[in-house]
Amino acid sequence: MAKREIPEINAGSMADIAFLLLIFFLVTTTMEKDTAYVRKIPKKLEIPVDPDPVEERNICDIRANNQNQLLFRGIPMEDPDLISDKVLEFYQMNQNLNQDQTNAALNNPSYKGQNFPFYSFTSRDEIEQNILSSEDKLDEISNTPGAADDMIEFSEKQLDKWLEKQTASNLLFKKSGKRILREIHFQAHVRVEVMAETEYELFAKIQSEVEEAIFELRDIAAKDIFGESYGIIKKREAMDKLDKAKDGKKLELLEVLYPARIIEVKPNN
Amino acid sequence: MSKFRKDGGREVPGVNTSSLPDIVFMLLFFFMVATTTKESDPTVKVERPIGLKATDMTPYKQRSEIDFLYLGEPRNPARAAEFKLGYALFLDNVVQPAAGDLYNTNAISRWKLDKFESKPVRMTEQIENVITCVKADKTAPTILIFDIRDQLEKIDALTVAYAVEDKGVF
Repeated sequence: MAKREIPEINAGSMADIAFLLLIFFLVTTTMEKDTAYVRKIPKKLEIPVDPDPVEERNICDIRANNQNQLLFRGIPMEDPDLISDKVLEFYQMNQNLNQDQTNAALNNPSYKGQNFPFYSFTSRDEIEQNILSSEDKLDEISNTPGAADDMIEFSEKQLDKWLEKQTASNLLFKKSGKRILREIHFQAHVRVEVMAETEYELFAKIQSEVEEAIFELRDIAAKDIFGESYGIIKKREAMDKLDKAKDGKKLELLEVLYPARIIEVKPNN
Repeated sequence: MSKFRKDGGREVPGVNTSSLPDIVFMLLFFFMVATTTKESDPTVKVERPIGLKATDMTPYKQRSEIDFLYLGEPRNPARAAEFKLGYALFLDNVVQPAAGDLYNTNAISRWKLDKFESKPVRMTEQIENVITCVKADKTAPTILIFDIRDQLEKIDALTVAYAVEDKGVF
């Protein structure tokens, strides 16, 4: 009887199976992304100045206490998910009024949007004039002997602000033909006041809701002016160095239109 | 006189590929084991809160324009009592500060300045714009966040970021 050989199993396709597994894991593994809300800490002034009083209507006050309860513009709020809608309302209440309507509403005490910030209207000529006068002022201060650094820095900031507005209004004019820059009142801001023992989770939730509202506002404007979503412009700006100047200007315009002025008040205890 | 055998018809043996899967598996396991996303493993427990529309920090990480610090309860519960309110700070790539260091000395500002000075030369960003990302635990009291902000303000590192988990960012 002849010796029968055991046939060898063909292992050539094992590699394919292993590669398939490898590729499967490569594709399905999600890396934990680092995501965060970026905020600026205000610079400490060398010479403390008394801030101008801010009208009640320009403050969007969000408070949280040690028991993690919320107070939105003085009214207790159960569900933190509502913050974004309320912040949106804060920005949008008076934004569709034109200049005449705004003036009329300001003089009408029974107007429903009385407790919300009004918008201001600046023409391109006015921006031009303001740049010239800020330049003069800066010259004057820099030439004054013994002028405080804070003062010089302040007027530099003023000039920068107007130059920024000019860039923004130029882009707005180019893209949509609008000659007038409509901005929310320069003092309008969101104020986050927490207490010492408020949990970070709630603090982050407030930040998230505010960010959501501002994202929404800028997204509407971005689609209206550029026909692109805000998220895409923002992402491209962060990633791509080539298109940076162009996208940077777009973002600047959106930020001028809907500024994210968020004041975080340090809890005192 | 032929010392060389010329018997033709000999087949070239096929290369044995049966060890190829081993190589591939080795690769697979190497990647499965070696893949980590954090630069350092914090010694504090951090469970990030959920948030929406957060900014992706990856481009800043690639340009080293960001430093991370972690705030949470120490993994070693015996140490918790040493820290204010039971929460310890973990500074990225640096030994954890001694108990109370956060409050008595300028651990954060020292750390931040050290990191800033060791940044690559090609980085042109000013310290004002170098992000300090605070990864805090859900339950951490916010006063600690503001303590960190105070320390950063002293050295003009004026950009802070609050880390959250955003499922919507890809």
